[in-house]
Amino acid sequence: MDLELFGQLLPGAQRRQTLNLEGPLTVQDVTVLLGLDPAEVGLIVINGVQSEMEDRVPPDCRLCFFPPVSGGS
Amino acid sequence: MKLLRVDMDQLTVRWEQVPAVYERLGGRALTSRLLLEEIPPSCDALGRYNKLVLAPGLLGGAGVTTAGRLSVGAKSPLTGGVKEANAGGTAGDALGRLGIKAVVVEGQPEKGELYLLHVLGDSAQLLPAAYLRGLGTYATSDRLRAEHGAECTVLSIGQAGEYLLTGADIACTGEGDQHSNHAARGGLGAVMGSKGLKAIVIGKADARSVPLAEPDLFRAAARRFAQELINDPKLGPKGGTHLYGTAAITAAVNEMGSLPTRNFGSGSFEGAATLRGEQMRETILARGGQIGTRCMPGCVIACRNLYVDKAGNPIVGTLQYETIALLGANLGLDSLDDVARLNYLCNDLGLDTIETGAALGVAIEAGHAKFGDLESIAGLLRQVGEGTVLGRLIGCGAVATGQALGVRRVPVVLGQAMPGYDPRSLKGNGVTYATSPMGADHTAGNAFGARKEVNPLGVQGQRELSLKLQIISAMLDSTGLCLFARPPVIADPQLMVDMINGIYGWGWTKEDLDRFNRDVLRTELEFNRRAGITAADYRIPQYMREEPLAPHGATFDVPDSELDAVFDGL
Repeated sequence: MDLELFGQLLPGAQRRQTLNLEGPLTVQDVTVLLGLDPAEVGLIVINGVQSEMEDRVPPDCRLCFFPPVSGGS
Repeated sequence: MKLLRVDMDQLTVRWEQVPAVYERLGGRALTSRLLLEEIPPSCDALGRYNKLVLAPGLLGGAGVTTAGRLSVGAKSPLTGGVKEANAGGTAGDALGRLGIKAVVVEGQPEKGELYLLHVLGDSAQLLPAAYLRGLGTYATSDRLRAEHGAECTVLSIGQAGEYLLTGADIACTGEGDQHSNHAARGGLGAVMGSKGLKAIVIGKADARSVPLAEPDLFRAAARRFAQELINDPKLGPKGGTHLYGTAAITAAVNEMGSLPTRNFGSGSFEGAATLRGEQMRETILARGGQIGTRCMPGCVIACRNLYVDKAGNPIVGTLQYETIALLGANLGLDSLDDVARLNYLCNDLGLDTIETGAALGVAIEAGHAKFGDLESIAGLLRQVGEGTVLGRLIGCGAVATGQALGVRRVPVVLGQAMPGYDPRSLKGNGVTYATSPMGADHTAGNAFGARKEVNPLGVQGQRELSLKLQIISAMLDSTGLCLFARPPVIADPQLMVDMINGIYGWGWTKEDLDRFNRDVLRTELEFNRRAGITAADYRIPQYMREEPLAPHGATFDVPDSELDAVFDGL
């Protein structure tokens, strides 16, 4: 899976990674593997679709983690 | 509190007691109600019977953080309906501290005359302003600050407003040497131009705050409100809005396939990486610009920036998401330097960057410039100031440009250009565009980031979500709060009730506040109904129901019956 982190999730972490993960995983599982604090994740997008922590992660997807965001001006 | 009436027929000003019907209104609630009460809804928006109303919110002048926005209202020459656009800067706070509930500009002078309204303490006068003719908003505010003092607030129009171009906006100065906070949407700069009013100068008030009916209640609530904003993970000192400005969302909107790209031809831009907030922050800091500054006195969010060139010279402040979307990705530009230069041109001409970005996208589709080519695009924009026929069309917005150039793909609702969220892949915003009395307007009820509520690509739940957001927006716009400051007052509306009661002693309940918010929408819907606007006028353009948007292949498929039922719950 292709993984990308944005904004305040970046310092100390790698922006883009390609991971080969086995087994059915949820987004929550991936945050644990990456050492991310779920409370600091505001928006999850899998293949362009807004997702949630409990959603399953397809094996060959693009998974993006954003910090909390709100509509622009 | 008092009302300042400015009669442009007779060139006189007069103070009056606030009529009872307006006493418990502020900001958007006041501007919209006054228009419903005092102007014929079917009048010519650029004629003598329209009125331009400027009003601080209910919290204006009380020193509440983020609550200094100024509402500007009039019948819109773009939508044909009621319009409110609000701006940061120091005007809302200054009028509030002066005890001015609203400035109402009425009538029209002899054609071609230009005036300046000067408000200083309890006095106000109209002064000839022919010497400001043809100046952009930067030069106008510089000149007026030199004449009236660096601490005054200046509201002004640029050439676009003078030409009565319907994409024109109103610029408002802020703290220090800030020039460019804009009441941007709906062509209100053209209304100000039609009144022969080039600028308004407001002297700094002596009062530290408005009188408080219940000081302890107010101070406790205002302090808690500020603290909760500071504690909010989105808005506090470690939050994305502070660190990256509104551009914090560029990457997320692109990832979700909703970033307007090449005249809303795609929802995903291959050059988005160089437009995102992290890139902007790194560039600004490396060049010696400013990040995390305020547009309003005392704002604890501080999302403003000053974008500078490679030599560290200011280009524009502040560079915002909507501008990046409409003048960047929508025009195929992947350089923040390019966007900043177009942004400066728009600000100086006094043009809404959203409307103008959409119009430029339409003009490019018609072959008058090239996507991704700054010089050809800037050339079109400069024509606005030169007053050429094509320039004036672009300055009149996306509809005028599309009609004149024979382009069918025009991203508007109710005559007003869509902001930076394609409604095919963010359908909640589509529902807001297609139902708000304000037309396509992201500040009227923005569904972006409504996590765990409704699938942005789905139909279900969008109607309820949009209504909820529109009611919240009515409250924010009527109290003078920045839309980013909504989390604490959504989580606990009593906080807003306490701040209002602390200032005015009205003894409101949460139910009173909810009724107040809903009445704003009812008033505006009634104005538009009387103006002859029908459900058909609010529809999303047909091509967006037919043309799938990459990358999701989504169309706007919320049924009309759902749209027509949005306000059933009002």
